[in-house]
Amino acid sequence: MGTVHARSLEPLPASGPDFGALGEEAELVEVEPEAKQEILENKDVVVQHVHFDGLGRTRDDIIMYEIADVFKAKNLIDVMRKSHEAREKLLRLGIFRQVEVLIDTCQGDDALPNGLDVTFEVTELRRLTGSYNTMVGNNEGSMVLGLKFPNLLGRAEKVTFQFSYGTKETSYGLSFFKPQPGNFERNFSVNLYKVTGQFPWSSLRETDRGISTEFNFPIWKTNHTLKWEGVWRELGCLARTASFSVREESGHSLKSSISHAMVIDSRNSSILPKRGALLKINQELAGYTGGDVSFLKEDFEFQLNKQLLWDSVFSASLWGGMLVPIGDKPSSIADRFYLGGPTSVRGFSMYSIGPQSDGDYLGGEAYWAGGFGDLFRTHFFLNAGNLCNLNYGDGPKAHLQKLAEYIRWSYGAGIVLRLGNIARLELNYCFPMGVQSGDRICDGVQFGAGIRFL
Amino acid sequence: MSLVAEAFMNQLAAAEPWPENAALYQQLKEDQILLSDNAASLAVQAFLQMCNLPVRVVCRANAEYMSPSGKVPFIHVGNQVVSELGPIVQFVKAKGHSLSDGLDEVQKAEMKAYMELVNNMLLTAELYLQWCDDVTVEEITHPRYGSPYPWPLNRILSYQKQWEIRRKMKAIGWAGKSLEQVLEDVDQCCQALSQRLGTQPYFFNKQPTELDALVFGHLFTILTTQLITDELSEKVKNYGNLTAFCRRIEQQYFEGHDKDGSAAASARSAKRSESDPDLNKIWSQIFTPECFCLAACQMPSSCKCVTHLGVQLVELMR
Repeated sequence: MGTVHARSLEPLPASGPDFGALGEEAELVEVEPEAKQEILENKDVVVQHVHFDGLGRTRDDIIMYEIADVFKAKNLIDVMRKSHEAREKLLRLGIFRQVEVLIDTCQGDDALPNGLDVTFEVTELRRLTGSYNTMVGNNEGSMVLGLKFPNLLGRAEKVTFQFSYGTKETSYGLSFFKPQPGNFERNFSVNLYKVTGQFPWSSLRETDRGISTEFNFPIWKTNHTLKWEGVWRELGCLARTASFSVREESGHSLKSSISHAMVIDSRNSSILPKRGALLKINQELAGYTGGDVSFLKEDFEFQLNKQLLWDSVFSASLWGGMLVPIGDKPSSIADRFYLGGPTSVRGFSMYSIGPQSDGDYLGGEAYWAGGFGDLFRTHFFLNAGNLCNLNYGDGPKAHLQKLAEYIRWSYGAGIVLRLGNIARLELNYCFPMGVQSGDRICDGVQFGAGIRFL
Repeated sequence: MSLVAEAFMNQLAAAEPWPENAALYQQLKEDQILLSDNAASLAVQAFLQMCNLPVRVVCRANAEYMSPSGKVPFIHVGNQVVSELGPIVQFVKAKGHSLSDGLDEVQKAEMKAYMELVNNMLLTAELYLQWCDDVTVEEITHPRYGSPYPWPLNRILSYQKQWEIRRKMKAIGWAGKSLEQVLEDVDQCCQALSQRLGTQPYFFNKQPTELDALVFGHLFTILTTQLITDELSEKVKNYGNLTAFCRRIEQQYFEGHDKDGSAAASARSAKRSESDPDLNKIWSQIFTPECFCLAACQMPSSCKCVTHLGVQLVELMR
């Protein structure tokens, strides 16, 4: 009998933990056998051997887990489907550059009449890949060096190192990632980093040096992340004209926190979704494992997308969060929430809603924001939100009342552009309303780029 | 901000009178502040007292990082933040208060020279003792400097500061000096100050100036701070007129205020001390009979003590 080649189905990206799900429009592709050959759906087959060509440093046991299902196939179409799924799983490990599948009848002495051989021809990634970029922007130029060691010890561990050397700041990050063999969704990673950020809306400069360990695992349809993080934060004023409230926050602090996040994501794309919903709930408890910052932080994000007639999408979002400082020390400016900007409440300047002092925005301890939008390359939106500090002595009714007064809202229209699978660009014309004294608005044309939009 | 804008802001600020709620920021008195910072803070407090400008002292653990120049103390007056004695003197002058207006050009130059002497000698010696003398560093400086922070931040910050100060010492050539040499330098500085002061109440006779405030800040802190050894304070105690000068300024400008504002309380708690000595006991130790050696001295013509030097000067001028 002839050979059936199940080749790679285009276009499928080499996936791993940094890439999301498959490409947007991926659906299961049925491979049609050639017209000349017999239709073999109903013929029982047995997969006798699975061969692997091209394994170098990869260990056998993790491969075994990914291809275990292939042996269970009962007929030819099933074999092809299961081989395709196995191929996806192997690519997701992030250790192979390409994987090709060959299905052939069994030859040899112990061959059954309906026996099949499946061969995976793989090409492993090189031991070390590097990248070098230069970036220019914001009165600063920098040189970015990236190094990646995929499949370090043979079981899909990955070490990445990124170093950025700039005219103003230097930052780096080192990360070690290890999945559980057989269960790629369960993995843990350890990160070491130094990041600097400049926040002109608060006249604040922040340098974080930290270490974090993170453990991801799925439970049913949800994805959970447990993380411990220890960060040495250094805050400073960005300019001599910074307000005194920001100047008072300058200095060093140590935050040691445990956080848990749960994500349920059924959208078909995270950049420009057409259907599905997202629910993300995040909580963080700081202060009980050391450090001098102590708080409990709750944060949630909800998004719903529904396709309407004429290819347009209706999208609704709701965000909210609360920060409760524990003990008698007030909350730090680096932990508070910020609201406003082209990616949240459009029509207001970046993070320029809520408590401020002399033009420097201090952030708030509680916020909510909601949005409706209609997406189709051009979009209409309606956003609302509020950000304030709560007096935790009063009851929940007083809190809700405080969050409900002084609502800032805005509406407008614009165009949306998707940048590959990475980011979204928006150019909007906004009408900000409900502006409170102290907020900085951006009425008229506003441009935004990002990955998470209200 | 550009120079022009800053000058404009200063003009605006100069027009406003001194507010009631002016505040001076320094590190925590009991546990954190070090000898050199305490001296600087006391100098500014003395200067403002001499100008009769009210200011309240606020202690913050992050005062050093709040300051625009990275040095304490700094004052928050209205909307302005000014740090270190030199700029504060300029700022106060712009508001119309000055202590050195009555001096002529030669005297002003002399005053500046002596202030430079104090900053280059006394202050550097204090920094050397705090950060380059291993025993002091281990026992006093590291525990105090990192006391407001949790582990491991306290060790990281104090080592970082130590490297910075040692680098500065290397740059000015003090890294190779031994403790004895540093104490010798302190002695010479005190001798120069003592000779300039002579028997006058203040450095420029009748009225105190910023030089008096600066010298008071440093000498008083050295005298009333307990370190590992007493060598530093002994060097100052050798000069009777300097100790009398400190006592005089303390009595005139700091006593009569409440305990927390007084110089004695702030300097007394500046270093970890086993007991809290009474101020009278300190002064009785300082005013030893040897200081007044006119009667007891064996060789008056070659005696280097202050009182004999003064007498010799008077003889020369006759």
